[in-house]
Amino acid sequence: MSADEGEQSLATVGLTKTFGGVAALDGATVSFRHGRVNALIGPNGSGKTTFFNCVTGMIRPDAGRTTYRGRDITARPPHRIARAGIGRSFQLCRVFPRMTVLDNLLVAVRPPNLLAQLAGARKREETERARYWLTRMGIDHLERAEARNLSWGQQKLLELAGVLMSEPELILLDEPAGGVNPALIDRICDLVRELNAEGRTFLIVEHNMDLVMSLSDHVVVFDRGRPIAEGPPSVIQSDERVLEAYLGV
Amino acid sequence: MPRDSERPRHTGRLLRLGALLAGIAVALSFPSMAPSPYELTVGIAILNFAVLSTSWNFVGGFTGYISLGHGAFAGLGAYATGLLVTKGELPSFVALFVSAALVAVLAIPVGYAALRVRGASFVIVSIALVLIMLLVFQSWASFTGGSRGLVVPRPFPGKLRSEHHEIFYFLFLGLLALALLAWWIIDRSRFGMGLKAIREDEDKAQSLGTPTYTYKLVVFVVSAAFTALAGGLYGLWFGDLDPVFQFSILSGAYMVLMALLGGVRHLYGPLLGAVVVGYGLEYSKLEYGDTPLHLVFAGLLLGVVVMFMPDGVIPAVTGLVARVLGTGETSIREVTAAELRDERDEREADVRPDHRPDGKRPDGKREVRQ
Ligand SMILES: Nc1ncnc2c1ncn2[C@@H]1O[C@H](COP(=O)(O)OP(=O)(O)OP(=O)(O)O)[C@@H](O)[C@H]1O
Ligand SMILES: [Mg+2]
Repeated sequence: MSADEGEQSLATVGLTKTFGGVAALDGATVSFRHGRVNALIGPNGSGKTTFFNCVTGMIRPDAGRTTYRGRDITARPPHRIARAGIGRSFQLCRVFPRMTVLDNLLVAVRPPNLLAQLAGARKREETERARYWLTRMGIDHLERAEARNLSWGQQKLLELAGVLMSEPELILLDEPAGGVNPALIDRICDLVRELNAEGRTFLIVEHNMDLVMSLSDHVVVFDRGRPIAEGPPSVIQSDERVLEAYLGV
Repeated sequence: MPRDSERPRHTGRLLRLGALLAGIAVALSFPSMAPSPYELTVGIAILNFAVLSTSWNFVGGFTGYISLGHGAFAGLGAYATGLLVTKGELPSFVALFVSAALVAVLAIPVGYAALRVRGASFVIVSIALVLIMLLVFQSWASFTGGSRGLVVPRPFPGKLRSEHHEIFYFLFLGLLALALLAWWIIDRSRFGMGLKAIREDEDKAQSLGTPTYTYKLVVFVVSAAFTALAGGLYGLWFGDLDPVFQFSILSGAYMVLMALLGGVRHLYGPLLGAVVVGYGLEYSKLEYGDTPLHLVFAGLLLGVVVMFMPDGVIPAVTGLVARVLGTGETSIREVTAAELRDERDEREADVRPDHRPDGKRPDGKREVRQ
């Protein structure tokens, strides 16, 4: 996938969303490049999660457009955006609590046609693929456990495995390190680096600055629903407006 | 970790197969063992309930959408069958299938509108459907017979009463088998996996690429069609339709109660619930006549189920059996829990205070679930 490295991945123009007078997104215009690990940072309530929700179709923006690799995806329903190659995690990790770990991944399988919908859900090939991701996340020994019995960290890994099972090109992660112990943070960072090297693009919302600075190629800073700065991590770290936005609120 | 090797699973499968065969044997021999035609009608009533609540469970069990309005589909199936026989002069069983197809078509716009809302709103919309149907069928008397009722001619006029019952007993049994088979196929399919994901977390399912809206609509239509078949068959058997009984919220409520009682996640859950509740209803009718006492019982039962067995009888009993035998799901869960503890202990040592597993920030702010 290195051929199209640098090509435009996700981009928005004037994305706006208000919740009862509060402008969660206020004409946000940003674009992210393919093949990179992009980071989206900003103070609490600056609209990062709302941005994710709008570009994945979970929330209809009031105004503005979203494109993915040049195609307009603004009005598409979430499942079609997922099928276009955008996968996401949720800020408070979401798994299917009363399904087994393995079934959590099998949900993400896409039947090729209508008849295949009625075929058994636990076909060998797909089960093997699910096991592959569980093994990479290091939770394959839990495949028959119900997801609700997993620890917080394990659930985060399970959520990531589920997203990967849906074969996305672009992966949006909402605070992957939130509430996770340092050892697991390192593991998640390594995974992101590996997956990126394999050709997947990332957009990561994260408050852990060490993680953001060490992991990302490109950082966009949000404040009050719009980008106020962007650039490589080293530049962002010393940007006046960023410091102000973070310390001033 | 799954120390529960192949053996218990194998035994479990054999046990299940044995139970299934025994159940089939009992069901098939019931008419010849029933001491009188009355017992046979009780059997038919129970089978009718079983088909209805199994049909309801296509929506309720898989997607978790609780419809109190399924009585409308049963009533429509019954009336459509009756009217197609009397006014359309179709053969009885052609009328039955045509009416199920008509109800399925009608279920598309109904589902299209109703499935846009989740939770309590969906329940209310489903109730509205029954009330609208009741009004229509009561007031459009010239066509439906109104509250005077609609007499549906018998499909086998030459037969004796007891023969009539016996034939319908087997027809209902066949329909039940068909509904169970369809539920089983969906349960193990990719389609079913997507439906169950909707029950667990609809947004999440969508974000993984499941076309949740289409899935819900398809299973809603399947559910309505089976419900209509049950209603139509009932109409042909009973021979007399009254809108008040056909379009009652109570009949939908009984479907819910039976399914919840047995367990909505299980193939045989609604069937088991139908046997218990159906028998109870017939018994109370016999003992206490037409008093509303059976409603009190049903209400109490619903309370008990919701409070003490939220997953129904089947999981409660299998859980108990597994604990006694020391096999099955519970043991997997215990092993897992132990593992989780170990793992946590391992990590506990180096958890920094600013990475709290409860999702709280060091500044004490709690994250909002989006
Ligand atoms: N569903 C909603 N209903 C009402 N207000 C909302 C909703 N979602 C977000 N908001 C508001 O929109 C603003 C932006 O919220 P958002 O969750 O996008 O922020 P964030 O940048 O993700 O913050 P954090 O870092 O705390 O997760 C906040 O003021 C929030 O209260
Ligand atoms: Mg957020």
